[in-house]
Amino acid sequence: MEKDRKEGIRGMANPGRYGIERVAYWLMRITGLGLLVYFIGHIYETSSILDGKAAWNSMLELTQTTEGHIFLALVIGMCVFHTGNGIRLMIGQAGFGLGRPSRPDYPYTPSSLNMKNKLCIYVSIGLAALAMMYGLGVMYDV
Amino acid sequence: MMSNVMRESHIMKIHYLTAMLAVALVIVHIMVRIVQGFSDSLLFDNVVANYQFIPYAILLEAVLVLISVHGFNGLRVILLELKQGRAYENAVTYGCLAGMIILVAYGSRTIIMTSMGMV
Repeated sequence: MEKDRKEGIRGMANPGRYGIERVAYWLMRITGLGLLVYFIGHIYETSSILDGKAAWNSMLELTQTTEGHIFLALVIGMCVFHTGNGIRLMIGQAGFGLGRPSRPDYPYTPSSLNMKNKLCIYVSIGLAALAMMYGLGVMYDV
Repeated sequence: MMSNVMRESHIMKIHYLTAMLAVALVIVHIMVRIVQGFSDSLLFDNVVANYQFIPYAILLEAVLVLISVHGFNGLRVILLELKQGRAYENAVTYGCLAGMIILVAYGSRTIIMTSMGMV
C-alpha cells in the first residue's frame, strides 16, 4: 500500500496492473489524442484544395504511399476502437451493465468490472482489427 | 472558468451527444468515399463537386463542428485529469476553446470558399 502511494501518477498509469480495464482507459485516451491530431491534419490537408489542382494532387500523393495507407489503417483502427469503447462507457455512465450494488467483502471485486464490460472491450479491439483489414482492402483495391 | 458557466455534467452530455452525431455523420462521409470508389472519389474535380453539392457541404460543416467540440473537450478532460488548480484549469479550458474556434474557422473557410467555386 505504501509502495502504491509512492508511485504517484506512474502507479495510476501502469497499464499492466489493473487488467484490461486499465488498458482500455489508456487506449481510449491515446486513440482520442491520435484522432484529434489526425483531424487537425485532415483539415489542413483538405485546405490545399483552395490552392488548385496541382497543390491538391501533391498533398494527395503523400497519402497514396504504403506508409500513408498504413497510417490511414491505424486511423481507422483508432476510430473504431474509440467508438466501440465510447459506446460502452456511455452505457455504463447511464447505469446499465454495472451489476447490482453489494456490501464490499473480501476480495473486494467491484461489480462494475464484470465480464460484460471486459467482453465489450475485447469486441471493440476485435472490430478495430477487422475494420483496419477492410480499410487496407479498400485502399489497395483488393 | 467554463464549469462556473456550465455544469460539468452538462458538458459531458454535450460530449456524448456530439460523439453519437459525429459517428452517424462520419459513416455517411466514409460511405460517400467508398460508393464513388476510394481513389476516384479523391480526384480534384470529384472533391470540388462534392463541396459544391450543398447538402454534402452542410454535412461536412456539421462533422467539422461536432468533432472539434468533441475532440477539444476530450483533450480538456485528459489535461484536467493530470493536474488541477484554478489557473491551470482556466488555461486548459480557454486554450481548448480557442483551439476549437480556430479549427472550426479554418475548416469552414475551406468548405465555404470551395462550395462557392473560389478554387
